[in-house]
Amino acid sequence: MQAPMVLTPDEALWERLFQETRGAMALCYQCGVCTAACPWGLVRREPFSVRTMMRRAQVGLLDGDESLWLCAACAQCEALCPRGVPVAEVFQSLREYAWEQRRVPRGLSSVLWSVYWNNNPWFQPPSYRSRWARDLEVPRFDPEQHEILYYVGCTSAYDRRAQKVARAIVQLLRAAGVRFGTLGDDEPCCGEAVKSLGHRPYFYEIAQNNAKRFAEAGVRELIATSPHCYEVFQNHYPRFQAEFRPYHYTQYLARLLEEGRLRFSREVPLRVTYHDPCYLGRRSGEYEAPRRVLDAIPGLERVEMAHFGPDALCCGGGGGRMWLETRAGERFADLRVQEALETGAQVIVTACPFCMACLEDSLKGLGIQGMRVMDVAEIAAMAV
Amino acid sequence: MESFGISRDGHEWHFVVCMKVVPKPEEVRVDPETRRLDRAGARSEINPPDMNALEMALQLKDRFGGRVSIVSMGPPFFEPYLRVGLAMGADHIYLLSDRKFGGADTLATTYTLARGIQKLGPVDLVFCGEESSDGATGQVPPGLAEWLDFHQITLVTQVELDPLRRVVRGRRERPGGYEILEVPLPAVISVKTGCNEPRFMDYRLKPWAFAPERVTVWSAADLQVDEAFVGVAGSPTQVSGLAQAPSRERKRIRLEGSPEEVARLLAERLREIM
Repeated sequence: MQAPMVLTPDEALWERLFQETRGAMALCYQCGVCTAACPWGLVRREPFSVRTMMRRAQVGLLDGDESLWLCAACAQCEALCPRGVPVAEVFQSLREYAWEQRRVPRGLSSVLWSVYWNNNPWFQPPSYRSRWARDLEVPRFDPEQHEILYYVGCTSAYDRRAQKVARAIVQLLRAAGVRFGTLGDDEPCCGEAVKSLGHRPYFYEIAQNNAKRFAEAGVRELIATSPHCYEVFQNHYPRFQAEFRPYHYTQYLARLLEEGRLRFSREVPLRVTYHDPCYLGRRSGEYEAPRRVLDAIPGLERVEMAHFGPDALCCGGGGGRMWLETRAGERFADLRVQEALETGAQVIVTACPFCMACLEDSLKGLGIQGMRVMDVAEIAAMAV
Repeated sequence: MESFGISRDGHEWHFVVCMKVVPKPEEVRVDPETRRLDRAGARSEINPPDMNALEMALQLKDRFGGRVSIVSMGPPFFEPYLRVGLAMGADHIYLLSDRKFGGADTLATTYTLARGIQKLGPVDLVFCGEESSDGATGQVPPGLAEWLDFHQITLVTQVELDPLRRVVRGRRERPGGYEILEVPLPAVISVKTGCNEPRFMDYRLKPWAFAPERVTVWSAADLQVDEAFVGVAGSPTQVSGLAQAPSRERKRIRLEGSPEEVARLLAERLREIM
């Protein structure tokens, strides 16, 4: 006879989760909308039961190791939850607990060490950070001369593909006559990877230091390339007395267009479809700015996919999943590029370096020809 | 009690890890005039192989209890870097710091480190990274074993402790296989770079790790060293020249064909080189 499974609720963990979510996790009444909404259900026969995770968290049980790391923080479940439970935050609390228990997937400690020693999660030398702009002569930010700081971010600074986006943004800001600078090699990592992977205490240390550094540098406003950096600046830095105002670069471009500082004069005769990054869309509520930028480009035809805006499908790269392996056949981006193909668009346009990497991988992996992935900034730069 | 590091026979394990703080390799410049390494302005980090050595020692502590002491020879600025090791789970830092130790080659370094380790009292295992990223001689672990008159296993990727027989087994990777060496304790283990994943700091330990009493600084007088054996005086090594290695030429050969063909062509080329 099989021995009955004995579960011992951990009251200390429950207490902690309750505190960290400011009581919100207690609101879950187990309706299961989250499980139905989770994109893992689209790629696995057995869906990832978010509801079960929530229930186990409510009674203070740390769930099986693998499922804890599946969440891409896409917020699809949060958008539909009738009780407003911050599911991804609960997951991050469970991950924080896993760090304390040293039950963390292989490779993630190394990511944190890279942030610690190299100031980026990509294992790249800190002294190479501004190499992307070597020939561009981007000045060092000076609050006396510059109206805004361009915060490049780790991925755009080091990833060859994403560097092109940073270069396009520089081109656009110059075309609009914006007086801006960067922090060069001293630009700090925003800590989003650390936060998403659940090491909250280290993230708090990073955010606190950065809030101070930005204040000392005289930063009042900044433009972030990645929605991931933007999202933590916007939603998680204010508690550390960060007083600067962050913009995602699409928001800033939309503002420049509105103010008449940026004008698109060249035709870009492309049929494009816009993929909403989760951290810009559902996490930050920004669906309009990137579309306004695209719609201002002469000759550009923009079409929507079957799921867009608040219903957009995640690429799979959020919630720290960029640093975890996703098996072939389980990649959300595979489904996303199929959706994009059905629109007849030539280009999937997005505004996030992680989305770009995942979508490009899927195009290559599926052997799709005649479609490419571009960033809003790259398309916009073609129009000036 | 096991949790206090006393094993059943009452033995308290004592693991020592030798650690060094190094400049980030890509930030070190070679002065074209003097041909000396110019470390000014370079950021520092813990020598990466030493992190693997510390992780190996901490895994033994997790399993058998006991304590882990970090021993380092270097200037006072090493201190905050070494405290990272405390936040990972080590117990105490011994920093051997004295102007007289400056300019040491590996002979003088190993002598000084050995004097520091002898001052700690009974030790079971001494872990070192296989080499430092700045000096890259790999001479410190064997030199240390000589001065201490300990057994040694170099370039170890996995270690196993047999508490009853008081022996340690180390696995070494060899071309086409591996070998396992067994030596009696106490022993020096040099740890292969990248053989494990160093755990990240436990932030609950951080305030403890940064308390002043966690670090003991020992000078030349504290260690009662023979001054002829430390620093420049104790270093017979002379650097007679420094040359730049020629950078490798890229051949830009593209292998074409089906995946099977490409794999076959690649295997052929690799065989030529091997």
